[in-house]
Amino acid sequence: MDLIRPSFPLHEETTAASVPSARRSGMGAASRRRTRITAAAAAAMAAGLLLTACGGGAATQGADQPAAADPASAANATGSLNVCGGKDASGIYKGTVEAFTKANGKVTAKYTEIGATTDEARTQAVQRLEGKSSECDIFVTDVIWTSEFASQGWLLDQTKLVEANKDRLIPSTVETAKYEDKYWASPFFTNAGLVYYQKDKVAKPETWQQLYAEAAGAEGNSYVYQGKQYEGLTVNFLEMLYSAGGEVLDENGEVRIDSPETREVLDFMVKGLEDGSADRAVLTYNEDPARLAYESGNFGYQRNWPHVYRLLNATPLAGTFGVAPLPAWEGGKASGVLGGWNLAISAHSTNQAGAVAFIDFATTPDWQKHVAMDFSQAPVNEAAYADPEVLAKMPFATELLASVKGAKPRPISPVYPQISQAIYKNVYAVLSGAATTEDAVKTMAEEITAAKASF
Amino acid sequence: MATKSLSPGRWGSSSGMNGRDREERRLAFRMTAPSLVLMALVAAVPIGYALWLSLNQYSVRTAGLSRFVGLDNYVAALSGPHWWAAFGQTFLFAGLSVSLELVLGTAMALLLNLAFKGRALLRTVVLLPYAVVTVVSAITWETMFQPNLGLVTNVLSTLGLPGGDVIWLGEHGYAMAVIVLADVWKTTPFAALIILAGLQVIPAETYEAAELDGASKWQAFVHVTLPLLRPAIVLAAIFRTMDALRVFDLPFVLTRGANGTESMSMLAYTQLRENRLVGEGSALSILTFLTVMVVSVVYIRFAGGNIREVAKEEQ
Repeated sequence: MDLIRPSFPLHEETTAASVPSARRSGMGAASRRRTRITAAAAAAMAAGLLLTACGGGAATQGADQPAAADPASAANATGSLNVCGGKDASGIYKGTVEAFTKANGKVTAKYTEIGATTDEARTQAVQRLEGKSSECDIFVTDVIWTSEFASQGWLLDQTKLVEANKDRLIPSTVETAKYEDKYWASPFFTNAGLVYYQKDKVAKPETWQQLYAEAAGAEGNSYVYQGKQYEGLTVNFLEMLYSAGGEVLDENGEVRIDSPETREVLDFMVKGLEDGSADRAVLTYNEDPARLAYESGNFGYQRNWPHVYRLLNATPLAGTFGVAPLPAWEGGKASGVLGGWNLAISAHSTNQAGAVAFIDFATTPDWQKHVAMDFSQAPVNEAAYADPEVLAKMPFATELLASVKGAKPRPISPVYPQISQAIYKNVYAVLSGAATTEDAVKTMAEEITAAKASF
Repeated sequence: MATKSLSPGRWGSSSGMNGRDREERRLAFRMTAPSLVLMALVAAVPIGYALWLSLNQYSVRTAGLSRFVGLDNYVAALSGPHWWAAFGQTFLFAGLSVSLELVLGTAMALLLNLAFKGRALLRTVVLLPYAVVTVVSAITWETMFQPNLGLVTNVLSTLGLPGGDVIWLGEHGYAMAVIVLADVWKTTPFAALIILAGLQVIPAETYEAAELDGASKWQAFVHVTLPLLRPAIVLAAIFRTMDALRVFDLPFVLTRGANGTESMSMLAYTQLRENRLVGEGSALSILTFLTVMVVSVVYIRFAGGNIREVAKEEQ
């Protein structure tokens, strides 16, 4: 918020060198006061400007039913196609549009980066969609944006397309594109949590209970995860909650967070911080600090995403660590939370046929192999994980597939951001000792219920 | 005072308005009218629009749906716990950081006002922290206070000082301390610069007179420098307080508002941007803006009183 400083001088009387100015001007005291207040108001207005100027953007979209994408249209696609999304760190977006343009021959696709961070990309996408811009034909969307975008009528219905491609897509990844019984996007590449562990110090974790017990067993064995107050904490918490059999919303969208499972998981996490299973520093960790801490060699376990594999291999820890799918809850099953990115077609796209052709290409089993080999991302096609070429580049593909197949989407709701805040703020309050489990669970349930009742 | 020479006799008269004065005031008004119109367009229009948004609710579930709700958004914000928590936390932050900045800024200005070799260079160099983008400096501070790996925690524990084993950004109180420190580090030079400007217009004769009267250095500072510096300090305080009350990037990067550090601006941002609750978020922005405005008006009246006194004494 340093962007706007009042760049005009405040009323002269307030500046240091202006003592004589009150005498210079012939104004009376009353009018002087008036000018002062005007100046104060003007200065304060400028101060408030940045915030309020950001405040625009009410939804102005009509509630008309969006059109559906036709799978057959791809054959006759021509023209140009613009794919928009966040920063292309792995090169997958540009790589895919180039390969598609080459393979297709008739459609020319390009990639436009609309934001350096995930948050920024969402803001930029929302602005274009609210403004009915036809600039972008396809948006690369985070799996958690689907229901919000779909509920606003911003996306083309992809149900037919997804149904046609269903046999080549992993079912759990398809579920991330679903909202109110229709599919609004196609999965492009996925993501699921993994546990990295030091083979010389600790055993491969089968259950969370075993992991925590081993982590507390000796100095230097403890577990690091993402416990800062942000989206990542929601993911870390839900991974345990899902494996313990708990849920946030049930199939009918009813709030189910106020459950014995939620309490059990929260108490388990708190105990872990108290007995040293997990390092207390996780309260400040998101992905990168957790990775860097683990790289110091002072820890036994780390929960992180697949991209960490390559980074860890470039450190002295190379060869000493193993990769495991997320463990099961004792007496329950292994589960997880799906991340990843989908391809959504803008309702205002002027080249819907081209967009369908692009999605067809991006989800083919052959291109999905490249997704793993060339860009180190998790494919949405199951066969790719067993491919020898992929295994050579991604030796943990089997474990990753297990994590992906067992994972579930985060709560599907147009008010997901509010639901996630209710989760991570209250979980954080319990972990940091600011609230009791009982109070936090009640607040969480109330806040999620209130969020669901959003107008 | 030496400044008297700047005041030609004609302006010194305070004998009410004659015809000529009125004519000049009209001229002044005509000449400032274009900028007043521009200011209204730039400032009033967006604020008016935000005010309108804050009186409505916009559906996050159904596209295009909205309804007029009057002051409901304000009532909801003021009766819930989040606004008041953020309000208290923001004022705590502003109070701590601005007072530290003024004290350190005054000290810094006094040093920079001394005659020594390389003064011009040093005056430029001390401004460096202020030139760093806040988000970048916040990330740097986050790295330095990282448990296990951070520079600060490592130095503290190596030296056996307390604080080495503290999870700074993960504990109530400590997290606020880091945010205040980051802000003080960055903006003290700005306060120092304004105060330095004030210091430079204090005429040397006043010090000579104080010395002749047998005042010690400390007495001269307390009875000559500080009172004459007050307008500059108040100005620095106004700028800094307005900025501090709108603090966003430091808590956003360092804690995401955890551990009692969520500010008013962060709350408004979350509702507006993340949750797309345009009505509620706009109401929070307007409340933030009103808070800042009230504080500024109070400050400026206080400064004005001070200046009036000085002017009266002169006469």
